[in-house]
Amino acid sequence: MPSAIVATELSKTYDVKVRDPGIKGALAALARPRYRQVRAVDNVSFAIERGDAVAFLGPNGAGKTTTLKMLTGLLFPTAGQAQVAGYDPWSGGNPFRQRIAFVLGNKQQLLWDLPPEETFRLNRAIYGVSLADYTTRRAELVELLLLGDLIDKPARQLSLGERMKCELAAALLHQPEVLFLDEPTLGLDLEAQQTIRTFLGEYRRRHGATILLTSHYMADVTALASRVLIINRGRLLYDGELSELVARIAPIKRIELVLSETVSRARLEEYGTVAHYAPPRATLEVPRETATVASTRLLTDLDVADLSIQDPPIEEVIRIAFGETEQDAEEDTVRTDVRRAPP
Amino acid sequence: MSPASSRTPFATFRDQYAELMRSAFLVDLQYRASIAIWLIWGVTEPIISLGIWWSIAAGGAVDGYTREGFARYFFGVALVNQATLSWDAWNIDRWIREGEMNHRLTRPIAPIHEAIADNVAYKTPTATIILTMWIIASLFWPAVRIPFEPGRWSLAIIAIVLAAAIRFLNGYATGLLAFWTTRATALVELQFGLSLFLSGRIAPLSLLPPRVAHVAEYLWFPYVLSFPVEILTGAVTTSEQYLRGFAGQAIWLAIWLALYLVVWTRGRRHYGAVGG
Repeated sequence: MPSAIVATELSKTYDVKVRDPGIKGALAALARPRYRQVRAVDNVSFAIERGDAVAFLGPNGAGKTTTLKMLTGLLFPTAGQAQVAGYDPWSGGNPFRQRIAFVLGNKQQLLWDLPPEETFRLNRAIYGVSLADYTTRRAELVELLLLGDLIDKPARQLSLGERMKCELAAALLHQPEVLFLDEPTLGLDLEAQQTIRTFLGEYRRRHGATILLTSHYMADVTALASRVLIINRGRLLYDGELSELVARIAPIKRIELVLSETVSRARLEEYGTVAHYAPPRATLEVPRETATVASTRLLTDLDVADLSIQDPPIEEVIRIAFGETEQDAEEDTVRTDVRRAPP
Repeated sequence: MSPASSRTPFATFRDQYAELMRSAFLVDLQYRASIAIWLIWGVTEPIISLGIWWSIAAGGAVDGYTREGFARYFFGVALVNQATLSWDAWNIDRWIREGEMNHRLTRPIAPIHEAIADNVAYKTPTATIILTMWIIASLFWPAVRIPFEPGRWSLAIIAIVLAAAIRFLNGYATGLLAFWTTRATALVELQFGLSLFLSGRIAPLSLLPPRVAHVAEYLWFPYVLSFPVEILTGAVTTSEQYLRGFAGQAIWLAIWLALYLVVWTRGRRHYGAVGG
């Protein structure tokens, strides 16, 4: 079976108007517009198999949304190709649109003045879903997303979290094969975030939908995707398992301790680097491969009430990853410059 | 996974239109107070024009128009104008500016169908209200009565539908220029300004200076208002006048349809290139 999403050397270049600040700058730009080319997405390739969930990570302006817009057919690439659900997003037309859903966390498609139920009805007709399928799917979505009587209240009276849940339901009534989610939990409270994460995981398991999502919340990523794509300045910098990334970027484990006796910081330093010391609690950082040995020693030598071994927080891993890749990028630039220098 | 049902494309299309019109109508109901105000404004403008011409015609007919003739004409203007209004450019402009166009472009139906359904859902009830007001007025004021001629009324209905289609495509295609510029609605305003004179909105076209009337003949404006109104009031009588009027409507409908298709296809491509 072909992959659900294939991006081949996708690039997107924008011409951005350059303008000096102030009235003088505005007038100058009017008389003689200057443009600067910005590579929003630069030669990005990846493939996602059917039924997989992949997280697209990167700082603001890294090119995540631009890539999603190319894969959904809203933007066409400056170079490269894409195949989504077996279609070229740009020329796939309505049969392609029937097979995807694109949910933008900061935009809404719900009819603002009407209850979400009305948007559901409308989407049923627009996507040509039969009444029987509609009834079953609507009931399933109401159950999984805990919508209850929310769907009878005008959308404008719903909270952000309630609205997002209804947005998802509206976007899934046609049971798309591929689901693109851009920041689906943006600005939501913890409970709503959790409901949406649980829902997406369950929905994927039940229907084998492929999910590509962007998020700033690491909990979304760890809950939903085992594989991550990291993009920065338009370039794909990492494509692989989240756990591998953690192992590669941060080859340490954290041992969290609750001690029953008072142990000095200096004593703890014998077992590893003390990252945090607030008796009776302490956190040690030890090399990944010696984590088990260190834990055994701690349990033997000291009076330990509780001990757990953890990966460093994913936020930190990503931060380190971005830091490293930015350094790489700068080195690349330097190298290119050197190559371009006259002999 | 087969998202499309086994129904025929026509049945799906009919279903899409039914639901689009239903939701547009329900949204309109939420804004009934605003709609009432727009309706009052829609009627006020022709009534003001009528007031002015009424006093001008105090001394006798102006170029064939008696006081009663003006009354019938401006009642006709109120009805036809309500049935042919065009506001889509403002929606398109907002959708593109605020990123609401994106979800419309990822649905398996072109956005123009939503606009058509929206127009039908709004104009059918509101034009019916104006027609009812006209009928009630004619009970008390013989001047605004028009003779019962089913043939003429049927032709008037066809002319109003064609006028609505031309004005809709004109406004929609101009609005789509928002894919390139932030001034699309200004262009619509400019056309609106011209249409006040050239479509017969503030005076019957026969009262315009001959040169202006001549210019109007080469544009679509007379066909979107003056022609259907004059069928209603009885000013269009000969088959040659009918033929010229309907031919003009057919030509301008074809032109604006072609322009819409060009602007839509290119605009979509431009949007794809530069983003929203």
